[in-house]
Amino acid sequence: MDDSRPIFLQIAEAIENDILAGNLHEETQVPSTNEFAAFYRINPATAGKGVNLLVDDGILYKKRGIGMFVATGSQARLVKKRREQFEAEFVRPLIAEATKIGLSQAQLVSMIQAAPIHEGDTV
Amino acid sequence: MTTVVEVNGLTKRFGKFTAVDDVSFRVEENTIYGLLGRNGAGKTTMMQLLTGQQFASDGSIRVFGQSPVENAAVLGNICFIKESQAYPDDFKPRHVFESAPWFFQNWDAEFANRLISEFRVPVNRRIKKLSRGQLSAVGVIVGLASRAPLTFFDEPYLGLDAVARQIFYDRLLEDFGEHPRTVILSTHLIDEVSALLEHVLVIDDGKLIIDENADTLRGSATTISGTKSTVEAFVGKRTVLHREGIGGLSSITVEKLDSADRTAAASAGLELGPVSLQQLIVRKTSIPEAEFGAQS
Amino acid sequence: MTALAPALPASRSNESARRVFAVIKLHFVNRFQILYMPLIVLGAIFLLNLAIWWIIVAASNGAVSGIHLGYSGAVSYIYVYGIVIAVQAISRTFPFSLGFGVTRRDFYLGSTLAFVALSFGFAVVLTIMSVIEIATNGWGVGGRMFAPLWFTNSFWLLRFVMYFCAFLFLLFIGTAGAAFYVRWRATGLTAFFAIIAVIILASVAYFTLGHHWDVVGRWIDQSGPVGITVWLLLPAAISAIAGFFVLRRATPKN
Repeated sequence: MDDSRPIFLQIAEAIENDILAGNLHEETQVPSTNEFAAFYRINPATAGKGVNLLVDDGILYKKRGIGMFVATGSQARLVKKRREQFEAEFVRPLIAEATKIGLSQAQLVSMIQAAPIHEGDTV
Repeated sequence: MTTVVEVNGLTKRFGKFTAVDDVSFRVEENTIYGLLGRNGAGKTTMMQLLTGQQFASDGSIRVFGQSPVENAAVLGNICFIKESQAYPDDFKPRHVFESAPWFFQNWDAEFANRLISEFRVPVNRRIKKLSRGQLSAVGVIVGLASRAPLTFFDEPYLGLDAVARQIFYDRLLEDFGEHPRTVILSTHLIDEVSALLEHVLVIDDGKLIIDENADTLRGSATTISGTKSTVEAFVGKRTVLHREGIGGLSSITVEKLDSADRTAAASAGLELGPVSLQQLIVRKTSIPEAEFGAQS
Repeated sequence: MTALAPALPASRSNESARRVFAVIKLHFVNRFQILYMPLIVLGAIFLLNLAIWWIIVAASNGAVSGIHLGYSGAVSYIYVYGIVIAVQAISRTFPFSLGFGVTRRDFYLGSTLAFVALSFGFAVVLTIMSVIEIATNGWGVGGRMFAPLWFTNSFWLLRFVMYFCAFLFLLFIGTAGAAFYVRWRATGLTAFFAIIAVIILASVAYFTLGHHWDVVGRWIDQSGPVGITVWLLLPAAISAIAGFFVLRRATPKN
C-alpha cells in the first residue's frame, strides 16, 4: 500500500487486478475482509470499504452467510473500465506532451510501434 | 454506530499551562483511532483524562455514557498502556501476566503466551532489568491480550525494533478483526501506523486541529508539480497547503482534485503527486516534519 | 444513527467488589517480596541471635543463663520492613493499578485490606515464635527475641493483639506517608513529616505547659503494654482515613 491515496481505493484496485490477471476467477470466493486486512496490513474497516466499493460496482456480490464472490462478466467489465482509464490517464497526456514537443500523430504512432514490448513487463 | 467516548469543551490546566484546550470529539465503537501530535502536544494528558487518571478543569467526558472518574463500571472496560508505565517494585513480567486476568474479564492467556514468545519477553527477569524494548513489549502484550472494549496505547513501542513493531501492528489488526473493540493509539510514527487507523485525531498545543476519517484525509490533497507558470495558472484560486520551488519549477500542494481536474492537469503537462498522511498533517498544521517519524 | 452506549456489562457494586479482591491478590502476587523475603531475613536474624546467645552461654561456662540475656530488639527489623512494604505498595502499585482500570477507591480499599491481612499474618508468626520461645525458656539458652521481657508471663493472645496493633500502626503510617508522596511528591512527604512533628510537639507542649504528665504516667500504668499498643489503633485509623482522602485526588505522575 502506498500512503498517498485512500487505501480502500487501492484495495479495490488490487482485487480488480487479481480478477483481470485471472487469479480470482468468476464465481469463486474472494478472501474475507479480515484476511485482506491482515494481508495488506490495513484496518479491517478500510478493507471492508474497498470490498464494498466493488460490490456497489457489481464486480463482487455477497452470498449471505458465506462470503463474497466474483460476479459473472466482471472480468470483461473491468477490461472495458481499465481501457477507458488508460485512455484518460495515459493516452491523452501522451498526446498532450507529444503536441508540445512537435510530434505529429503519425510520428507518435511509429514511435510506439518501434518501442520494444517485453511480455514480462505487462501487469 | 455507537458512541463510546463523548468529550465536550474539555480543558485541563496545570497552573498557568493549558495542556488540553477546549476539545470536543466523539469516538465510535469498534474503531481504531490515531491520536497524533508532537511530543508534549497533550496526547498523554488527554488519555489520562479519558481514563479518569486526571481530573478535568472544565468540560465534560462521557465514556460508555458515564463519567470515567472513579467509576468502576466504566474503568472495568478500559485498559490503558502507557509508555512510561510504573510497575510495582521487584515485579517480574510473569507477575504482570499472572495478575492481568483478575482485572480484565476478556483476558486471553493463550494469546498472551503466544505474544510473550513472539516478543521474546523474559518473564522471570526483574522488570527493572528489562531493556526498553522488552518493557514496552510487556505493555503491548497486556494491551492486546486484555481485549478491553476500550484500549488506550500511549506511544507503546518505545525501544521496540522495526520487527517487533510490525508484530505489534499485525497482531493488533488480526485480533481486532476477530474481536472488534475500540482502540486509541497515540503515536508520532504516523507513516508507520497510518494504514492501521480508521480515524485520525490530531492534537497540537492542547487543541484538536484535525478530526477526520483517515481515508478521507489521505485523499484530501495532491501535489502538483511542473513549470512555475503552468502550476500557478492551474492552481489559480485553490487553497494552497504548501508551496515549494526550485528555479523555474514549482510544486504546490492543494486540496482534493476531482477527476476532471486531474485530466486537465495531465493535459497541461503537470505531474500529480501523492501526499502521505504524515505530510498532510505536517502541511495542515504548524508542526515541523522533523517531529514525526523519528524513533526517539 | 449514533447512540450513547450505556451498555455496561457488570453491575457497579459487583465489579467494585471483584476489583477490591483483585487488588488484594495483586499485593500478594509477588510473594517473595512481600512474604518470603521478610521471613527469610527474620529467620536469619534469629539464627544469628541464637548463635550469639550460644557463644555467650558457652563462653561463660554456665555463669550466664536464663533471663540475663534479655530482649534483643532484633524483631524490630520486620516492623521497619512493614513500613517499607506499605510505602512501596502504595507508591508503585497505585499507578500500575490505575492502568489496569482500578478506581482509587477500590485500590485503597484493597490495599488496606491487604495490609490488615499482612499484619495479621506477621502477628501470627511472631506470636507462634514467642510461644515457642517462652516454652523452651529462650530456645534453651535464655535468649529473648520474640517475647518482650516484661511480657513473658502473659497470655499468648495478648501478645498477638499487641503485635497485630503495632503492625497496623506502622503499615498505615507508611500508607499515609506514601499517599502524601503520590499526591504531592517530595513536597507532600515533607508536609507529612511536618504534620507528624507538629502533632508530637503540640502534645508535648500541652502536657508540659499544662503540667499534665502525671495524667500520662497514670494512663501508662493503667493501660499496660497491651493497652498502649491497642491505643495505636487510633492513629492507625486516622492515618488510614487521611491516606484515603489524600489518594482519592492523586494522579499518577511519571
